[in-house]
Amino acid sequence: MLPFLFRRTFGAIVTLILLSAVTFFVFFAVGDPALMSCGKNCTADNVALIHQNLGLDKPLPTQYWDFLSGIFVGRDYTIGHCSAPCFGYSFATKQDVWSTMMDRLPTTASLAIGGAIVFLVIGLGAGLLAAWKRGTVLDKVVTGVSMVLSSVQIYILGPIVLGIFVYSGVMASPKYVDFTSNPGGWFMGLLLPWLVMSTIFTAQYTRMSRSTMIEQLQEEHVRTAKAKGMPARYVFLRYAWRGSLIPIVTILGMDLGSLFGGAMITEFTFSLAGIGRLAINSVTTLDLPMVLGVLIFSAALILVFNIIVDATYAFIDPRVRLS
Amino acid sequence: MIVALAAGSLALTGCSSGSGSGKDKSQSDEDAATQSKAVPLGTAADSTGPAKAVKDAKSGGTIRVYQRDSFNHLDPAQMYVSDQKALSQLIFRGLTSFQQDDKGNDKVVGDLATDAGTMSDGGKTWKYTLKDGIKFEDGTPITSKDIRHTIERSYAKFITDGPTYIQKWLSGNGTSYRKALPDGPYKGDHLPKNVLDTPDEKTVIFHFEQPQSQLPYALTMPGYSAVPDSAKDTKDNYDVAPVSAGPYKIASFKSGKSMQLVRNKNWDPKTDSMRHQYPDGYNITFNHQASDSTKRLMADKGEAKNAISFSNAVDTNATKQVLEDASASKRLVQGYQPYVWQMNFNMDRLKDKKIRDAITYALPSSQIVRINGGTYGGEIAGGLLAPTVAGYKKGYDPYGKLTHPNGEPEKAKKLLKEAGKTGMKLVYAYSNTEARQKEAVVIEDALDKAGFDVQKKEVDAASWYEQMGKVDNGFDIYMTGWGQDWPDASTVIPPSYDGTTIQNGSSNYSHVNDKHVNSEIARISKIADVDKATEEWQKLHHYIVEKVNPAAPVFYTKVLQLYGSNVGGTRYNTDVSYLDPNTLFLKK
Repeated sequence: MLPFLFRRTFGAIVTLILLSAVTFFVFFAVGDPALMSCGKNCTADNVALIHQNLGLDKPLPTQYWDFLSGIFVGRDYTIGHCSAPCFGYSFATKQDVWSTMMDRLPTTASLAIGGAIVFLVIGLGAGLLAAWKRGTVLDKVVTGVSMVLSSVQIYILGPIVLGIFVYSGVMASPKYVDFTSNPGGWFMGLLLPWLVMSTIFTAQYTRMSRSTMIEQLQEEHVRTAKAKGMPARYVFLRYAWRGSLIPIVTILGMDLGSLFGGAMITEFTFSLAGIGRLAINSVTTLDLPMVLGVLIFSAALILVFNIIVDATYAFIDPRVRLS
Repeated sequence: MIVALAAGSLALTGCSSGSGSGKDKSQSDEDAATQSKAVPLGTAADSTGPAKAVKDAKSGGTIRVYQRDSFNHLDPAQMYVSDQKALSQLIFRGLTSFQQDDKGNDKVVGDLATDAGTMSDGGKTWKYTLKDGIKFEDGTPITSKDIRHTIERSYAKFITDGPTYIQKWLSGNGTSYRKALPDGPYKGDHLPKNVLDTPDEKTVIFHFEQPQSQLPYALTMPGYSAVPDSAKDTKDNYDVAPVSAGPYKIASFKSGKSMQLVRNKNWDPKTDSMRHQYPDGYNITFNHQASDSTKRLMADKGEAKNAISFSNAVDTNATKQVLEDASASKRLVQGYQPYVWQMNFNMDRLKDKKIRDAITYALPSSQIVRINGGTYGGEIAGGLLAPTVAGYKKGYDPYGKLTHPNGEPEKAKKLLKEAGKTGMKLVYAYSNTEARQKEAVVIEDALDKAGFDVQKKEVDAASWYEQMGKVDNGFDIYMTGWGQDWPDASTVIPPSYDGTTIQNGSSNYSHVNDKHVNSEIARISKIADVDKATEEWQKLHHYIVEKVNPAAPVFYTKVLQLYGSNVGGTRYNTDVSYLDPNTLFLKK
C-alpha cells in the first residue's frame, strides 16, 4: 500500500508542476492582463507601470520560480506578506487567491458531494431495482426514463426548473448558506441545484448499474452460490452487487472531472459563486494568479480523489493488488 | 468605460420593435433634449442640502440588487467603469456632483464644496470652499488636507486605472505628470502651492497653466472622490477597504459574491443637496446574468419585489416579452448610454476619402441595431457624438444613415468606381462576441454588394482593444465604441481624433492625423467659456464627420432596465446612465 501511495503522490506532484508550467507559459501567449484594467489609459507608459506593479516586468522563468516558491514558503508583496500556501493576489480584484478559493470551495464542494450522493443513491438504487426486476414493466420504465434523462443537459433542465419552482414564487432562489450555521437553509438552498446537476449522472449510473448487475448475475460464482441454496437476496447483494461496484467505482473516478465541470455549469445556471465561476471569470479577465490557483487546486483535488478511488479497489475487490 | 462596453456588447438577438401597440415607446427624445444642452453650473443655493424630498418616499427596508459583475475596484481613484458609478454615488462624495431635477435636467453643484467652484484668471485658477459638517464614516471631519491628499495620491504608481484629467491639467500631459510627485503624498512630498494650495482647513485652490473650464465636471467623476489623509488610506489595500463619505457604507464585501451596504450615520443630509438615505441598506449579489435578473424581476415574486440592478439591462432576448407583460412594462426605465459605436477606418491604409465614404454609405445600420437589441438597445447614429453630449443636434445626418437605414449600396458602388477601386480587398476585423459575429455577416454582405472584396478577420474579444490600438494593426476597418466621461465633447474628440496622440495603445483607433483637427483641438481646449467651447466642438465634429470621415457612425447605445414593484423613486440618471441610485425607496 505504501509504495503505491508514494508512487501515485510523486506522479501527482509532477503532473501539477507540468500543468502549472504549461498554464503559466501559455497564458502569456494569450494576452496581456495589464490591458484588461487600463481602460482608457492604455498608453505604453501606463501599461509598463501596470506590468511593474503586477511583477510582469521580470523575466518569465523568474516569475514562475517566484510563483512556485511562494506556494511553499510564502511571498512578500507591497500589500504585505502572503504566507504559504501563497498563490498571490488577484490581478483583477487585489484579493488573496488562496482565501478567495477557500471562500468559494464550500459552495462547489457542497454541490459536487451533494450531487454525487443524489446520483449514487438514486442511480445505483434504480439500477439495482431494474436488474432485480429484469424484464418487468418496472425495468422498462426505469430504463426508458433513464434513457430520456441521460440526454437532458444541466443548462437545459436548469432554466426549466427555475421557471417552474423559482420564478413562479413556489421556492426561494437557490443560494449557498453556510452548513454549520444553518443546515436547513443549506439543504433547501442547494436542493434544486443538486437535483438538476445529478439528473444526467443519475440516468447514466442507473443504466450502468443495471447492466453491470445483470452481467454479475450471470457470473459463475453467483450461479454457484444460487445452486448452493443461498437466499436470493443474500446472493444478490453480497455476491453480485459487490462485483458490480468495481466498474462503477472505476467510472466514478473518471467522472470526478465531469462532476467538477457539472458543478461549474450548475453554478452558472443558478447564479452561485463557486470555484467553477471563479475559474471562468479569471480566465476571461486574464487574471493569472487566480487562473493558476484554481487550476492547480482543482487538479490537486481531482488527483487526490483519484488516488483514493484507486486505493478503494483493494477493499472492494481482493483480487486487486496494489503492488 | 471600454471595459463596460465590451462586456455589454454580448447582446444577443434583437427584437426590432416595441410593445405591439402600434406606438413605439423606445424613443427617448426628451432625454436626448435634456442631455444635449451644456450642463450649467449650479449656485451655492443649489448646492445646499438637504436634497428635495422624493414624492411619497418612505424610510426603511433593504433594496436587493442583482449585478452581473463584481466590483473590481473600490479605491475611487481606480474607478473608471460606468458600472461602478451607481455604487460610488451611494458611498463616495467629491468636491462637485451632478444634480438632476424632476424633469431630467442636470446641473453641476457643489457636493463637499459649497458650490461648483469659483473661476478666476480666465479659467486658470479655481477655488473651492468646503461645507461645514462633512465627515467620513468614522466621524472624522473632511478638510482641505483630505482633498489635497485625494488629488496627490492619484500621482502614485499604484494608481493606474482611474481618470487622469486633473493630474494632466495640473502637472503635464501624457504620463509626465507622475514626475511631479513620483511617490504621491506618501513620503511627505506635496505639490507646490502654486499648483495646488490649501491655505486653510476649508479652502482648496487649483492653479493651472492653461484655462480649464471643465474642472467642475471632471471633479464629479468617482475617480476624484475624497480619500482620508490618514492611516485609513492603506494605499494598495484601499482598493478592498475604502472609507465612505456618502449616505451608505460597506458593511461587508465578498469579492465575486456579495456586498452589503448599511446606513452611514456620519452622513448629514443637511450637507448634501442630491442624495437621500431612504432604504436601511442595499443587499447586492453578483453573478446574475441579464437573463437571470430579467426573469427574477419580471416574475416579481418574494425578494424580487424589492429588487433593482445597478447596471444589468433587460435581456435583449426578453425585450419583447417584457414590453408585452402588463405588469413588467410599467416597471421600466430607459435612456441613452454615453457610447457611440463607429466603424473605424484605418487612415494609414484607406487614404482615399471616396473609399471611406463608400463604406459609410454601404453600412446597413438598422440591421446592426436590430442585432444589438433593436430600438430599445440602440439608435442609428448620424454623427460621431452621442445624444448625451452637450450641443447634440438631432437629425444631424450627413451620410443619410437615418433616411436610408439599410444603407445605399448603389451610391457606395458608384463612389468606389470613381475611386477606381471596384473589387478592392478590405480587411475587416471584428471580435468574437456573439453580437459582433452576427454583425459581421450583415456587414460583409452589404460591403460585398457595394463592390468590395471583404476579408474577415476574427479577433479575440479579450485583446480586441489592444489589437486595434496598435499603430500597425494590419486591418482596414473595425468597430469600436467610445463613451464620454462627462457630457462634453472634450472627453470624446481629443481622445479619439487627436493626431498628436497616435502611438500603440492610443484611443485614436483610426489614426486620424489632420492638421486642422489637431490645431482646433488645441485651440478649443483652451476656451474658458463652456457654451462657446460647446459650439466650437460641434463645428469641429461636423468637420471631422464631413471633411475627414475617419469613422462611419453606426449606432448610439441605449439601456432598458426593469425593477421590482415595491421599489419607488425610480428614474433614469443621465450622469450614471442607469437607474438613479439617489432617489430609490421601498414603498412598504
